Amino acid sequence: MALSGRISAVVIVTVFVLSLISPLIVPYDPDAIDLDSLRQPPSFRHFMGTDNKGRDILARILYGGKISISIAVTASIISILIGISAGMLSGYAGGAIDTVVMAVVDLVLSFPAFLLAIGISVIFPPGIYTVMLALCAVGWASFARLIRGQVLSLKEAAFIEAARALGCSSLRVVLVHLIPQCIPLALVMAGLRAGGYILTEAGLSFLGLGAQPPTATWGSMISANRVFINSSPWMVLFPGTMIAVTAICFNLLGDALKEKFDVRT
Amino acid sequence: MAPLLAGITFVTFSLTKALPGDPVYGMVAERSSPEIIEKIRKELGADKSVVRQYAGYVTLLAKGELGRSYFTNREVMADISVKFPNTMRLAFAAMLIAAPLGIFLGFISAKNKGRAADRIITMLSVSGISVPVFWSGLLLMLLFSLRLRYLPPSGTGGIRYLLLPALTLSLPALASLVRVTRVTVLDVIQMPFVRTARAKGLSEAGISLIHVLKNALIPVITVIGLEFGSYLNGAVLTETIFGWDGLGRYAMEGIIKRDYPVIMGCLLIGTIIFISVNLLVDIIYHFIDPRVRLHGSER
Repeated sequence: MALSGRISAVVIVTVFVLSLISPLIVPYDPDAIDLDSLRQPPSFRHFMGTDNKGRDILARILYGGKISISIAVTASIISILIGISAGMLSGYAGGAIDTVVMAVVDLVLSFPAFLLAIGISVIFPPGIYTVMLALCAVGWASFARLIRGQVLSLKEAAFIEAARALGCSSLRVVLVHLIPQCIPLALVMAGLRAGGYILTEAGLSFLGLGAQPPTATWGSMISANRVFINSSPWMVLFPGTMIAVTAICFNLLGDALKEKFDVRT
Repeated sequence: MAPLLAGITFVTFSLTKALPGDPVYGMVAERSSPEIIEKIRKELGADKSVVRQYAGYVTLLAKGELGRSYFTNREVMADISVKFPNTMRLAFAAMLIAAPLGIFLGFISAKNKGRAADRIITMLSVSGISVPVFWSGLLLMLLFSLRLRYLPPSGTGGIRYLLLPALTLSLPALASLVRVTRVTVLDVIQMPFVRTARAKGLSEAGISLIHVLKNALIPVITVIGLEFGSYLNGAVLTETIFGWDGLGRYAMEGIIKRDYPVIMGCLLIGTIIFISVNLLVDIIYHFIDPRVRLHGSER
């Protein structure tokens, strides 16, 4: 795999592991209000400064990283599973099932994705599960379409014909022969999609539709602190950098996997 | 188009039905009598079957009726028609930045594949699709408005107000146009007709402009249409940051107050704009690429 892809994977894992063990690294509670140290610039006591309630930005960023990365990765995996199931069903069964599944896919894809995610988020109580639901509900459709395309081209391949001639059931053909062929494509899509999900989750949090205060997420930190951008830019700079770096790493990882497996998305 | 519209309205209808709380209570004042509540419920058709309710919903939509805001009691459609031109102005300005620059940079990148220019442009385009617009917008505002004081930080108005939000909104579209242009140009360069053009002694600039770019532009136009969706998505965040009085900020205000008719109205109108733009792109396609006309029936 390309060097950029390896570095990206290391960065993502590092950020996630650091966020899991954050109490060992930062001696501050992410939600603890400290009225003696309001809006402190970065220093040795607070590496990334503090916000307008005296909370340590680094502690909040690490805590938020746990939430953002978990949501993005979990939602990608769930979307892929739904997308593979729908795409396999549609591509392999064909006929009326194919028409119906693809009609639903076209319908989902005809909405501007972020607007639909907002529409879904507002009907449920805000929180991380609502965000995941919104991401999956919007994100599975493009997976399904790609997997269907892959299945359609593989269906006529000689090895599938051979498997059928040997008497494999449809279920066995799908599980043993077709799904393994779709795994590279799914991995590439997952990497690229997780990058997109990081951004969408941050966007929803920015709008107040993500995990609720005082829970820290990168998007909500930017949203809450943006009024202080001129006087205390660190309060906005650091969370945004984390979103950008994580999303860049997921995208580079996806691109590197794409080159390695030589698939087109 | 018609089945798609039916599907879209069905989705927005279902979302509306799934909203928490009874819409009737959102419309009546506190301490209204049960009779008044019952009367409004009848008017809304909430006592009828779901199918009849959906039919009623579509009929209202066809009349351009999106309901009234819970808070201002103004018609959502009237508000949207005031704010819609502002969002379109912003989206077109963003497109004017993104399309030429994206095609140019993508072309340069492909022509220099593997060299430093390609690497730098590729890295910038990955950053472009990875940086959230609400953050890049804030950084641009910090630099150009608050520190350098060249441009106003927020408000709706002329070109000075338009510049920063349009630039912010154009970044993700610009980045994905660079990526698509690069890939398609690399594809077209390998085509036999390019070799033929070179063999008959055309200048490299002539080949690039007439043969490569013309053919590469066709898929790029589709992406320009699809990116319209990203303008609408990004508009909610960008308009909020820059105080631009368009659909996006209107939707944001609706979200904060949980003003459901406003949110659903924006979702529906945004989606209709999106599919209309893509329909338009398909029609343009038909005119500029004779191959689509020939193969159209097979697709």
